[in-house]
Formats: sequence, structure tokens, C-alpha cells
Amino acid sequence: MSDIREAILARLVEVVASVPNLRTVHRNNVDWTDDQLPLGLVLDGDEDVATGNDGSRPSNRPLLVVMTPEIQIGEQSNAIGSDLTAFRAELMKLVLNDATLNALTGSNGKISYLGCETLFNWFDKQYGTLQMRFSFKYPLKPDDL
Amino acid sequence: MSLDYAALLYDPVYAEIGVSATFIMGEIEASITVIDDTRPKSLPAGSFADVRGMGPGAFARIPELVAAGIARNDWQDASLTFNGRDWIVRSYELRGSPNGEDAGEVRFLLKATDV
Repeated sequence: MSDIREAILARLVEVVASVPNLRTVHRNNVDWTDDQLPLGLVLDGDEDVATGNDGSRPSNRPLLVVMTPEIQIGEQSNAIGSDLTAFRAELMKLVLNDATLNALTGSNGKISYLGCETLFNWFDKQYGTLQMRFSFKYPLKPDDL
Repeated sequence: MSLDYAALLYDPVYAEIGVSATFIMGEIEASITVIDDTRPKSLPAGSFADVRGMGPGAFARIPELVAAGIARNDWQDASLTFNGRDWIVRSYELRGSPNGEDAGEVRFLLKATDV
């Protein structure tokens, strides 16, 4: 029994938790308070079939799928732009170079950085979030689930 | 004859729920009355998440500010102390009045002093 999707998401939470200076890390908890900042959030992503869904092979045949989870970093500080940029650099290095994540995607898979968006506002300090998007391509074997 | 909203509305309200505040900007140091308008605030965090916190603010009467020698260009970055907390005016919004903007209120949008 092995669900690569779940293994990737669980590992992603561990990787985000290793980013220096984050106070809190959540998975799929979309209700934060400002005293948890700086905070990291992993949102389970959509999963789409990349290849293997055609032809006349058995319905339980292995597929190659792509999952696109989102990672969000929230922070409030007097240097919010620089802080989020630093988080972006750390996160990108940690995700793309993580041996466990790369092993989970397998020889036919890969991890790709898709981009990021930012958003700013105010509480009693300047507040901002960084939303980073990655894609994970990996084999999905229904019989192994 | 138009109603005097300062005498009929603002002054009684400020007398009831207003608190003393110290406004400091440059050479100006004035004691004024404000209404604490620190509110809960919820902001989006990316596509799906929200983060809840406080948005500090305070109402003041523009005629009182003018009488204290505080002009509009003194508001931005002024220090405002009330209810035991120190704040900096990061922005403001004019609230208007049936008697005209100059007879109305301003809502100071505040930030922490260590920002």
C-alpha cells in the first residue's frame, strides 16, 4: 500500500517546517490568526492525469499524474517584501533539492517550480503573503493504493 | 436652517465614548479626544486562507484638530497615544459631514510604533 500523493504532501509539510524563522506550519488549515505569523501553509493540490489514460490497456493500469499543491507563507514585519523574498528563496531550494521528494516522484517524474504571487495589506504592522506553486509529476499505480 | 451636526451629534457622542489622546507631530503636541476604533480584521492569505488580526484606528473631529493647531498635512506619520497604547498614523480617511468635510470626522488608520 503506497499512495505517492499523500507521501509527497506529508513530506512537503516537513520541508516547509524546516524553513528557518517560520513560527507555525499548517496543512489545509485556512483559518489563521496574526499571532501565528510567520506561518507556512501547505494546501493539497489538484491532481491531473498526464499520460496513460488512453488506449485499450486495463483500467487499473499505472498512470503518470501531475499534482499542483500550493505553499503559502504569511508574515507581518517592517520589511515584508524582503522577508517574503527570503522565504521564497529558502523554500525553492528546499523543495527542489529534497531527496525524499525527488525519490517519490520516481524516474519518470519531476518537481517543477511554477511561479509565485504576493499580496499585501495592514494589521498593526504591514502584512503580506507569498503563494508559491509547484508541480509534482509521479506514477499512480491504482493497485498499489 | 441646517442642523449643526457637531453640536447635536458629534460632541455628545465624543463626550460619552471619547477618550483623551495625545497627538504629536514635530513641534505640535496637543491633547485631543478620539474614539477608539480598533477593529477585528480578516485578510486573505493567498487563494483560500484568511488571517485574522486587529486593525487599529481612531476617529477624531476635524474642528477639534484645527483648533489645536493640527493641519491636514500634520496627520501622516503623527504619533497618537490613547488607551495606554502608542501608535503612528499610517493613513487616514475623511468621513465627511452634512455640514461639510471640514466639520466632520477623520478616521486615523494606525500602525505599531516599532514599524
